[in-house]
Amino acid sequence: MANADSADVVIVGTGVVGCTIALEALAAGCSVLMLEAGPRVERWQIVENFRNLPPSLKAHWDAAYPPKPWAPHLETYSEASAGDYLQLEGPDARAYQQGYVRYAGGATWHWAGICWRLTPDDMRLKSLYGVGRDWAFDYNTLEPYYTRAEYAMGVCGPSDPALQWPPIRSKPYPMGPTPFGPGEQRFTDAAARIGLRNLPSAQARNSGISYHDRPPCCGNNNCFPVCPIGAKYDAATTLPKIESMGGVIMPNAVVYRVETGSKNAVQAVHFYDQDKVSHRVTGKLFVIACNGIETPKILLLSKDQQNPNGVANSSDQVGRNMMDQPKIIAKITMAEPMWTGVGPVQSSSIMDTSQGAFRSEHSGALIRMENAARSGQAGVAALKKGLVGKALDTEIRRLAACTGQVTIEHEPLPSAINRLTLSDKKDWLGLNKPNIYYDVGDYVRRSADQYSVPIVKRLIAELGATESEIGTEFAHSDHIMGGCIMGNDPSASVVDADCRAHDHANLFLPGGAAMTTGGSGNSTLTMVALAMKASDAIISQLKAG
Amino acid sequence: MKQPVRDDCPSEYSLARRDFLAGSVVLMGALASSARVVAAPLDASAALSAPKFMEVSSLLIDHKLDGDVGARMAAAISSIHPGIEQDIDQILEIAHQKNAKIVEDFFPDLPEGRLKDTALAIISAWYTGVIVDAPGSTVFAFELALMYQPTRDVMTIPSYAISGPNGWNASAPPLSDMPKF
Repeated sequence: MANADSADVVIVGTGVVGCTIALEALAAGCSVLMLEAGPRVERWQIVENFRNLPPSLKAHWDAAYPPKPWAPHLETYSEASAGDYLQLEGPDARAYQQGYVRYAGGATWHWAGICWRLTPDDMRLKSLYGVGRDWAFDYNTLEPYYTRAEYAMGVCGPSDPALQWPPIRSKPYPMGPTPFGPGEQRFTDAAARIGLRNLPSAQARNSGISYHDRPPCCGNNNCFPVCPIGAKYDAATTLPKIESMGGVIMPNAVVYRVETGSKNAVQAVHFYDQDKVSHRVTGKLFVIACNGIETPKILLLSKDQQNPNGVANSSDQVGRNMMDQPKIIAKITMAEPMWTGVGPVQSSSIMDTSQGAFRSEHSGALIRMENAARSGQAGVAALKKGLVGKALDTEIRRLAACTGQVTIEHEPLPSAINRLTLSDKKDWLGLNKPNIYYDVGDYVRRSADQYSVPIVKRLIAELGATESEIGTEFAHSDHIMGGCIMGNDPSASVVDADCRAHDHANLFLPGGAAMTTGGSGNSTLTMVALAMKASDAIISQLKAG
Repeated sequence: MKQPVRDDCPSEYSLARRDFLAGSVVLMGALASSARVVAAPLDASAALSAPKFMEVSSLLIDHKLDGDVGARMAAAISSIHPGIEQDIDQILEIAHQKNAKIVEDFFPDLPEGRLKDTALAIISAWYTGVIVDAPGSTVFAFELALMYQPTRDVMTIPSYAISGPNGWNASAPPLSDMPKF
């Protein structure tokens, strides 16, 4: 049984990765203590926060999660607030304004639930295309962990292999796909007319049935910032189960130092509570799973005599290779209604555009139509025109139905220059804020210029767009990857194939930070698959003594 | 060290405040139905009466308006738009002169500038649910905000469901089928 000071497995972070490992370790009979920097709240409180936001803030996914002083995260409501915590620089600094929340449950509170797998080719970029890196193992090694991740979270998806991505699976999805609303059906039809397949997304959302004590999705169209009914998986839904199995969860515990000892093994982690009082927690095995920014930050904060560059950093790769899928947004207006806002906020994507021999020259991309309801922004836009009466209502209905947004998310390459370091600026606790240099790179820029944006121009023409505005600046997708990159070579990577730190036998760094490449799809399912793989290694290591 | 606290809701949205607001709405609703209507928690001298606010709102907006939401907005709008009561008197005078029933009957007669801006601000408040759309501003209505109603036959008001498990499909009515609200 864990207590507040010690456990077999000490997990820093209560997001999807930490909670996955906690459940696996508890099921294997290990004691688990989880430390969470932020507060723990109930779902209804987030829902009330959202409903009480003024219209212009409802599109800011972080606004329903005001940070505590001791656990700051990016707040996007103004330029000034956005620059307060994350210190960003480089040619594409704004494309790394990553939206994560430091709350118990982590960033899955406000994710869309999309669960794409990497493809076999996504994991062999160096061998196949001469760019990036190869993973330490192949798709067939990862596949069983993908399946376990899908069953643990409850991922719905099509049973027809022709609609699966990739159609290389050992088991069917636990449940079938959610239906398309009119917008996604129209987008699918338009894509098909120009030879593109828009596939139903694999998504961690209960489709038609209850699963793991969560209700079926009822199309509340609020996956971010919060599913009001818990039909979409988020890690917060697992916290009571972790406690019921004997796990101890401590919110408002900001880990700031990893302590090493004999043979460079991790002895303890130190955290500040909300009164700035420091505490020390010991364990047999340690998991740092805060997210791709906070995890490398803690490692860099933990310099000691044995580890002068920071814990786990003999390779100097901690904080390098920061990745995300650089996003381009196309806003469109059509003559005929599209009607988004029916069903989940995202339910489909074009994935074929992520694969091909062109990847030796430029990145592939995922293309998606956003399915969030547009009535709110339509209302604000119509009011700005000074309309009243029937003309106002008619314009709101037209703008809501006949406008849309198409999103391109590009595959990134790991690059050492995209680097997280410690800023001289300090947070409320006196800890260094993270500083990140970010350049999406020519590989992505060439894709946007020569490949992805031209495809989207054909697509939106086929949709019947009468007006379009295609963004020229890359944006963030909130898929933080790479900062503790995985590899077989300890001199060029931070963790091994089980997400174990090369430098510390009892330290695991699973999650997005460990990902070697990112692919074009959302990263969460791969993060959870890596967590499953790490769990097996953790349990095996503990049982071996 | 403090014990972990489960209820960490931001204080501005705490249950205690919502209870207070709910109580205020009930109180103002009771006042609005009496002959002694003055709802003004902040500045009684600048208060706008709820019936007058509802009267001008009903002329500016040809939809069913929620009396409780109106009472709350009336209580707050004077402090945000000083002098609004005089504007409303003038708007009502113009509307009565035109024997107006709906906004189209008299809106073109409102002079450009302050009066027209006030009329649009009142319409905007009912449609958006806020008097000021900025961080920290009070939300008077969300699911009752009128901007969500012209699409409520198809489009979900975010966080509220209009169907059941997998109960939606790809069909949608024509644009011309405006819902009644």
